[in-house]
This record gives sequence, C-alpha cells and structure tokens, in this order.
Amino acid sequence: MSFSFLEFLKSLVELTTGTYLRQVWGAKPWVDPTLDAIGVILVATFGLLIVLVLIWLERKVIARFQDRIGPNRVGGKYGLLQPVADALKLLTKEIITPSGADKWAYNLAPFLIVITALMMWAVMPFAPGVVGVDLNVGLFYVLAISSVSVVTVLLAGWGSNNKYALLGAFRAVAQMVSYEVPMILSLLIPIILARSMSSVDIVKAQTVPFAIVVPISALIFFISSLAEMGRTPFDLLEAESEIVAGFHIEYSGMKFAMFMLAEYISALFMSGLFTTVFLGGYRFFGLEMIKTASGFALGNLIGLIAFFVKMFVVFVVLVWIRGTLPRFRIDQMMDFNWKFLVPLSLALILVAALVDKALPVGVNDWTRAGVHLVSNVVVGAVTLEILRRNGRKQRTAHEEVRENADIETAAAH
Amino acid sequence: MIEQIIFIVISLFTLMMGWIVVSNNNLFHAALALMASFLGVAGLYVMLDAGFLAMAQLLVYIGAISILIIFAIMLTRRMMQTEESPFNSQPGLAGITAVSVFAVIAFIFWQMREFWPLGAGEGAMPPADKSIILGSVAKLGEYFVSPDAFVLPFEVASVMLLAALIGSIWVAWPKTEDES
Amino acid sequence: MEFQVPTINILLIAPAAIVAGWGVLLMLIELFISDEAQEQWRQIVPGLALVGLALAFIQTVGLWGYDGGTFILADGHPMIVVDNFATFLNIIFLLTGALTIFISVDFLRRTGLERPEFYMLMLFSISGMMLMGMANDLILVFLALELLSIPLYIMSGLAWPRTDSEESAMKYFLLGAFSSGFLVYGIALTYGATGTTQLPGVMAGIANGGSLALAGAALLLVGFAFKVAAVPFHMWTPDVYQGAPTAVTAFMSVGAKVGGFAAMLRILIIALPGLGDVWAPALAVLSALTLIVGNVVALVQPNIKRMLAYSSIAHAGYILIAVASAPASPDGVSAALFYMFAYLFSNMGAFAVVIAIERKTNEGVMLDDYKGLAKRHLGLALAMAFFMLSLTGVPPTGGFSGKFFVFKAAIEANLIWLTIVGVITSAISGYYYLRVVYTMFMQDGDGEVAAPEALKWTVGFAVLVTAVLGFIPGPWFDIARQAALQGMQMVAGG
Repeated sequence: MSFSFLEFLKSLVELTTGTYLRQVWGAKPWVDPTLDAIGVILVATFGLLIVLVLIWLERKVIARFQDRIGPNRVGGKYGLLQPVADALKLLTKEIITPSGADKWAYNLAPFLIVITALMMWAVMPFAPGVVGVDLNVGLFYVLAISSVSVVTVLLAGWGSNNKYALLGAFRAVAQMVSYEVPMILSLLIPIILARSMSSVDIVKAQTVPFAIVVPISALIFFISSLAEMGRTPFDLLEAESEIVAGFHIEYSGMKFAMFMLAEYISALFMSGLFTTVFLGGYRFFGLEMIKTASGFALGNLIGLIAFFVKMFVVFVVLVWIRGTLPRFRIDQMMDFNWKFLVPLSLALILVAALVDKALPVGVNDWTRAGVHLVSNVVVGAVTLEILRRNGRKQRTAHEEVRENADIETAAAH
Repeated sequence: MIEQIIFIVISLFTLMMGWIVVSNNNLFHAALALMASFLGVAGLYVMLDAGFLAMAQLLVYIGAISILIIFAIMLTRRMMQTEESPFNSQPGLAGITAVSVFAVIAFIFWQMREFWPLGAGEGAMPPADKSIILGSVAKLGEYFVSPDAFVLPFEVASVMLLAALIGSIWVAWPKTEDES
Repeated sequence: MEFQVPTINILLIAPAAIVAGWGVLLMLIELFISDEAQEQWRQIVPGLALVGLALAFIQTVGLWGYDGGTFILADGHPMIVVDNFATFLNIIFLLTGALTIFISVDFLRRTGLERPEFYMLMLFSISGMMLMGMANDLILVFLALELLSIPLYIMSGLAWPRTDSEESAMKYFLLGAFSSGFLVYGIALTYGATGTTQLPGVMAGIANGGSLALAGAALLLVGFAFKVAAVPFHMWTPDVYQGAPTAVTAFMSVGAKVGGFAAMLRILIIALPGLGDVWAPALAVLSALTLIVGNVVALVQPNIKRMLAYSSIAHAGYILIAVASAPASPDGVSAALFYMFAYLFSNMGAFAVVIAIERKTNEGVMLDDYKGLAKRHLGLALAMAFFMLSLTGVPPTGGFSGKFFVFKAAIEANLIWLTIVGVITSAISGYYYLRVVYTMFMQDGDGEVAAPEALKWTVGFAVLVTAVLGFIPGPWFDIARQAALQGMQMVAGG
C-alpha cells in the first residue's frame, strides 16, 4: 500500500494512524520498534505539555474560589501564557545543591519522580483502540509504579540533608503507603465486576459506569487517590506552616519544576484513572462506536473528546476540593485511613464478591448494576450508622467524665 | 538475539546492584541499590512473560519491603554521620564459602546442560504455550482458591501471616508499668 | 448460585485446622473482652487453649488407622496425607502443647509474662507442627515450617526488655530465616530437577534429576538440620534455649525438634528413598558429629538450661541415628518415632522441674541452685533424678528403651561404628546428667521451690509415662511400628 496524504489525514482523525502506517510500511523488522518509539514520545510529550494547561486551569479556578481574577497579564486577558512564563523563569534560575547533600539521591530524585509519573500513562485508554499498551495486569501496573514513586520522595527528602525535607518525606511515605491500601482495595471491586485488570477491558465492561454501580467504592478510591497525590486535604507532606515545603524544600530552578511537573502529571493521571475505572472512560452513550456509512470511524474522536471532558471535570473537582477544605491533622489522617477506609473497603469487597457470585449467570447488566448499587449503599449506610452510635457513646462518656469532674471541683470548693 | 542482550544487561545490572548492596559503606545507598536490584529482578520476570509477578515484585519488594528497610535504617542509625564498613572480621572465610557454593551449583548446572532449553540435546524443553502465559493471571487466581490446587498452602500462609502480624504488634507494643 | 462443591475431606485436615482455628477464635473473642474483664480472661485462656487441644486430640485419635489424603490435586496426589505416621506425630505435638500449658500457667504469672497471646501463638505453632507431619508437598512443608517457627521467634522474645530474651529471639529469628533460605533453595532445586513439588512426584522425577536433585536434597537436609539443631548447624541452640523463657524453651526443645524430624522423615523416606544410599551416610556422619559435640560440650555447662540445650542437640543425634538407618532397616522410622515419644516426656518433665526451681525469669537456673533439692522437695528431686536417668538412657526408663530401639535399628542397618559412637557418648552423657542428681542429693543448699498443683501433676504424669515406656516398651513400640509401616507403604505405593 502506497502512502497517500489524504488517507494519512483521515487516519489521524480516526486515531488509527499506527495501523495505517503499519499497512503502508509493510511487515519489516524496524516498523514495530519505530511505531512503539513514536507512541512513547507522543504519550510522554502529551504528559509534559498538558501540565501547562493544568497549571493555568488550577490557578484560574482557585482564584475564582478565592474571589480573585488569577493570571491576567501574560498572554492576553486570560493570562493564557502565564505557565510558559513561569516555566521560563524556573529554567533560568540557578540550580542549587545544598552542602552536605547526598549527590546521588539528591540529583536522581527529580528525574525518577517525573519518569514514574509519566510511566503510568502507558496503560491509559484515551479512546477506543488508543492505548499505549493493553497490559492484562494494567491496573496492577499502575499501582506498582505509583508505589515506586514513594521511593523517589524518600530519595529527595533524605538526599537534601535538611530536617524539614526528611520530616516531609517521612510524612509523605507514611501517608502514601497507608493510603495505597484502601486504594488497592477499592480498585479491586471494579476488577471483580469487569473480571479483568486490563484498563481497556474495564472500560468495555462499563455499560453502566461503575461510579453508579458502586458509588461508595468510587468515593473511597477518590479520597485515597487524593491522599496518594498529597493534595489537599491530605497535603501534610508539604504543610507550609509546619515543615515549610516538605521533601522538595531544598530544590530550586528546574529541579523544583520537575517536582511540580510530576505532581500535576500524576494529578491528571489520577483524574484519568478515576474516569477510566469509574466513569466509563471514553464511553459516551454508544457514540464512541459510531461509524459513518463509508466506514469512517468518527466515534474514536468522540471517545477521545468524551474522555478528556470527563478527565478535566474530575480535575476541576480536585481543584475545587483544594479551594474548599482545610488540612487534616496527621493522627486524624491515619485514623481515617486505618480505622475507617480500610475496614469499609474490605467489607465492600466481601459483599461485592459474594453478590456477584450469587447473581445468576446470564443476568442483564442493569439488574446486576442495581443489585450491586443496593448492596454497596447498604454497606455504606450500616458503616455510617455504626460510626454514629460509636461516636454518640464516646461523646456521652466524655460528657459524663466532664460532669463528674465538674462535681468534684465544685465539691472541692 | 536482542532478547539475549537485554537479558544479559538486566542480569549484569541486578548483580552489580547486589554487589553494591553488600559492599557499600553507606547503608542508605546500600538500601537503594537493593531496590535497584529488585527492579532488575522484575525486569527478568517481564522477560519471562510473567507480568503479574513483575508487578508484584515492584509493589511488594520496592514499594513496601525496601521502604520498610529504609525506614528501619533511618530510625535506628545515625547514618548521616557514620559510615561503617559492611564487612565483619571474616570476609575471607565468607568469600571462600560463597565461591565454593557457587562453584558447586555452577558445576551441577553444567552437568545438567543437556536439559538446557537452548541446548540441542533431546531433553530440551518445548517452548511454553503462549495461551497459558496470557491467561496466567486468571489461572493464578484460580489455583489459589481451588481445592484441587493450592488453597491449603494459601490458607496456611494466611494463618502464618496472622501469627507474624500479631507477633510483631506484640513485640512492638509498649509494655505497661506492671509488666516490665 | 454456582458454587462448586469442594472435594475436600474436612475431617482429615481437622486436627490442624481445629488448633489453628481455635487460636483465631480466641483472638477474636479477646477483641470483645472489656477492660474490666481482662483479668478473668487471663485466668481462663489457658483452660480454653487446652479445650482446643483436647478437641483436636479427640479428632486425631479418631483418625488412627486411617490412610489417605485430601486436597487432591489434578494429578491425583493429595496435598496432605493422613496416615498413622502423621497421626502419631500429631499426638506428640498435641501432648507437647498440653504439657507446656500445664507447666507455663503458673510460671508466666509468677514472672509477670502472662499475656493471652502466648497461648494463641502457641496454638498457631502447634498447627504448623502438625502440618509438618501431614504435608505431602514441599510448598506446604515450607509454609508449615514457617508457621511453626514464627510464633516461636516471638515467644522466645517474650521476656523483653530482658536482653537475654531479646538476644534469644533475635538469634533464633536470624538463623531461622537463614535456614529457611536453605530450605527454599533446596525446594527450588528439587522442583527444577523434577518439575513438581509433590512428594510422590518428586520421587518419580528423581530418576532423571541427577545431580540437581542431589543438590536439592542436600540443601533440604541442611534446612532441617538447622531446625532440629544438628551439628554443625547447632550454633543457635544454646543461646536461644538459655535466653528464652523456660516454658518456651521446653515447648521448642520438643515441638520444633520433632516438627523438623517429622518433615525430614516424610521427605527423606517418601520422596527421596531413591537417593537413600547417598543421604544415609551423610546423615550418619551428621549424627556422629552431633552426638560427640552435643554430649562433650554439655559436660562443662554450669547453667542447667544451657546443659539441657546441649543435651537436646545430643538427642537430635540419637534420632538421626535412627533416620540414617531407616533405608536399610525396617525399624529405623519406628525407632525414631518411639525415641521422640520417650524424649517428649523425659524432656518436658525435666523442664517442668527447672521451672519449679526458677524464681524469676532466668534466675535460679544454675546448677548450684539445685543443691539440696532433695531436702527441700523430695518428690521433685526424685522426679528430676528419674528424668536425668531417662535422658542418660539407664534402664528401666523410656530413654533406655528409645536408645535400645535406635541402636538395634542401627545394627540392623550395619552402622556398627555409629552404634559404638552412640553408646560411648551415652556413657559420657551420664556424667553431666548424674551430676545434677549428685548436686540435688549430696550437697546442701536452700531456696524456694514453686510447685503448684498443675506442675506437680505434669511431673507425675511424665514420670508415669517414662516409667511405663521403660518397663513395657513392647506395645508402645508396636504402635510406633504401625505408624512407621504406613509411612513406608506410601513409598512402595508411590
């Protein structure tokens, strides 16, 4: 098949350029590696560039929450070029290596953290057929990589030879390791429902978005992914008032920028993952499957747009939370995880697995979704009720103690 | 061919990191090298088409065990100041032991060469069935819970871990006054 | 509903499952015990643990004579085997557990170490031991070994922050982990040689395994030699036995050792009989070394726990004689079983007396503390003397019968030199065992003796059984022989 520019453009819109080029070039040994390399470069570049948009978006939205205008000078009325200016500023700043720093750890951390953040995008299904690599252990891969990113935080914190950095790193690691547990547990439920760990299969299985089927698990995942990213209200790792800036306090210039970069990339990735696993990914009422009469797969483009819209909506919710909620205290953060999220997710898994097994085989998707919804909500409600009773008991006990103390003081007088 | 080169590179990387683990004076760096070594092992798993195992290796060994090791190092030592030699007084003896064990095992594997998959001998293993590898995650899951597979070891492992968990809490729990 | 009906015979796994499940159950109950009720809870936990052991005991005895397996894999081999061999060992383990509870209740309370978790961890450990005897798969053997060991590591550190207890736990843990490494590597090599971890499959595959299987077997042997404390893998034993609280020492000196031998016998006799002419001489040498080192070093120990530690090393040597003669003698396995049964009571009894003398944790465990015990508490002194005689192997005691059967098997297997080593070292051992008797009866001293009812009954029971085993060993040996025979039949049947 010879190369035709028109066909090439068409394949671009169809998002099937890879397949097209493969047809054109034929089966030669260099074709697959080249296409793979192009794919890697595309995904990585996308990840790096989208950050410019994210920074602008976050600053704008947060400004609105705080009754400000936000960036409004560079690049027109809406400050569209503000992130570019910021990036240039960071690029030209001096890179300082503190004295006594562990050179290896200090210099390796910024690179590793960006690499791990970018690597996760490999399994993200952007549109039908558009995915870096469809691993059969896709979600497990994401979890594994994100657990590696914990190491880089430790590297940065320890390498800086600064007590605030080390404290920040300890906090970060404690938090990330802890919240990994409910995150994994809540991800297991979509895996059970879809009977696959592949991100593509999970999207395909969502005739009904899993956020509706198992809303409580979705909520747990969302909360624990917030903590995993270290965003408000879980930003204890960089709590300005306590430990200045956390593990990246000593970094300056572009190395500091790398940490910000990684933070935004993984924030967007978590939004994307939430979209994929719970909001149906690129699915949009079947529109993503449409083809024109001539066999032109327009649906792929619709799927891509749907995915991005959903992902950015989730991202804006993240920003919204940041603009609204204060920070947790560290013991509250731990208690909330180990005493509430983890037991609840365990109960949810148990119930979801049993319900799924108990349902007859050929039952229709909507019935299945309904039954799961009911069981999910019931578990959540029961948990809340238990908590409420427990809280009441503690409160009354506390009040009794206080009353007794009052009586005693009165008697003493 | 390319696969073999990658394999050799990853193996060398793993071994080198392993060497750093035992020879480096700085405990923190040794722990980092340990992580890198684990990463190399994960790479080997990937090359063997054992994706699930590779990811488990990352998640468990790098994401959990190594972090724990680093925490333990940081909480128990003042490594910022001290750099101790990792060798005790008998490196020579230990070296001889290690080398002789290696020699024995290498000799045995050499004797087994007719069974090597790459060898031309009659005992060469048939290439693995791709479909088994692709479905390996599901198979693994089934094997863990089937009564005619590994449900018993699985359960025994869970009891064992429970005992270890309780024990570690018990050991770490601060003693109250009347017990000390 | 499309649940598959599992094809498991629950009754067969029940002895181990009851013990482990009972531990979990107690732990769950403890969650709901309020702070005010903690004191009563501590009082009844030992009793409850005994109830669990008793239930398992009933089930175990009910399985006597049964021969079969369950958790049958796709290739037809069971994951666990229940035969008289396993049942016999399970009885030993359950008795060990029960006796330990009897001697430890008062001891733990006295030394301020009493925690309900102690008994639960012990239950877990016992379930691991039981699985060691039943396991028919190397993976299960490994897991059972860990299940056996991990609670022991923790229990030997029970008396922290006392440094000797911590040292004991640390040493045991590190060397235990080290030996587990050998075992796992051995399993891996065996798997590489034969393509299976199932014992019958390993046996079938050993033919074309060649040297790889040999290396695997050697590493397996090393792993077990660590567990049973055979020389030269015995370094941890004295320190661990000395530092651990005495009740724990008593438990592990019998339980862990017999557990190690259980799996060793099962694997060597069932899976690797084809390599018998290779491992039997190796074991014979190991056993001779163990006998000599254990008995000779014990001569100079002033600390009674340390002395008993070396004595336990030496006894591992006697059992190893029986194991080494098993391929060539029909009575090798049964002699080992009988010896372990006799050793259980002599050793448990001796430790019970040590506990009675011990005032606080690891105080009053020197030989000097036994001076004049005959005047202070004649019954205990007589019992201790009896146990010492039994450990030496003087007739008419269980120890003598055990040694008799072991040497008989060795002679049948043409291991004359090993028999001579065994007899000579027994004579040597007389010196340090009888020195205890001498100290108790011929020297003067004073000190408190804490002998509550439970302990007295335990000592009495141990004396009784040891005596019975000494006077009429015949029927008991027949039972051991029945147990061993079934194990051997598995070999024939493949």
